[in-house]
Amino acid sequence: MSRNGKIVLMLLLAAAGISLAVIAMQREEIADPVARISRDGVVLKEIPLDQVGRAYSFVLEDELGSNTILVERGRIRVSQADCPDQVCVDQGWISDGTAPIVCLPHKLVIEIVGGGEAFDAAAG
Amino acid sequence: MTRRRAEGAGRLTRLALLTAIALTIFMVEAQLPAAPIPGVKLGLANIVTVYAVFVLGPRDALMILCARVFLGAVFSGQMSTLWYSAAGGLLSWCVLCLLRRVLTQKQLWLSSPVAGVFHNLGQLLAAAAMLGTWAVLAYLPYLVLAGMLAGLFTGLAAQALVGRMEKLRK
Repeated sequence: MSRNGKIVLMLLLAAAGISLAVIAMQREEIADPVARISRDGVVLKEIPLDQVGRAYSFVLEDELGSNTILVERGRIRVSQADCPDQVCVDQGWISDGTAPIVCLPHKLVIEIVGGGEAFDAAAG
Repeated sequence: MTRRRAEGAGRLTRLALLTAIALTIFMVEAQLPAAPIPGVKLGLANIVTVYAVFVLGPRDALMILCARVFLGAVFSGQMSTLWYSAAGGLLSWCVLCLLRRVLTQKQLWLSSPVAGVFHNLGQLLAAAAMLGTWAVLAYLPYLVLAGMLAGLFTGLAAQALVGRMEKLRK
């Protein structure tokens, strides 16, 4: 293989290695997880998941459509959505920083962020 | 490398034929069940893109790509996906054009995983712009790996295609 081919191959392997390392880091548990729900870049709600008592659900609705959010202690999911692809519903529960729930048609993002002192200060 | 420059009607026919093939592959793939990670798919239509960039040149490849992305959105009835496909397609096209200069046609398969990674990066950046948040970038490592594997597959397929086409011309 030529030099250029080798360089491209090395770059690919490096990118794969970095990605695997990042995934491993994301999987680490977050202390005091907070679910941050935002739409179109605006934060709508922040729910400290460790402080959830009984499971509850609520509906987020706007002109683009509606999503039903289900919250339990330590985890959150979208249980119903009126979009055609249902990607956010199929994703199920999230409880760590692995991957946020994203509803592209409704511009809705639910991500888990670390809580702790920084969050308390911001909320207070 | 044998390259015959087709002009006029011959070129038009070839472009139309490749666009039709790419669109057909795209529509058939759209019927397959979705992967567990949103945005991940094989992207089989990119076999045509990779082949076109290396064999026909960047300009013809861009025309096929644009027609396929637009018609694909029209036929699948999901115009909202147009911007994601366009962003991913154009970014991967740029990368393929660069790689065409440094790689030989025998190493064509190697360019496709790189293009796949940048395709997914483009899609993700479009999603980040659309949603107004960087939170979606948490998907980047998954999409880098998925783009690489899918690109490797389409790249090997495109490499086989080039080999077969050369035999056909003899």
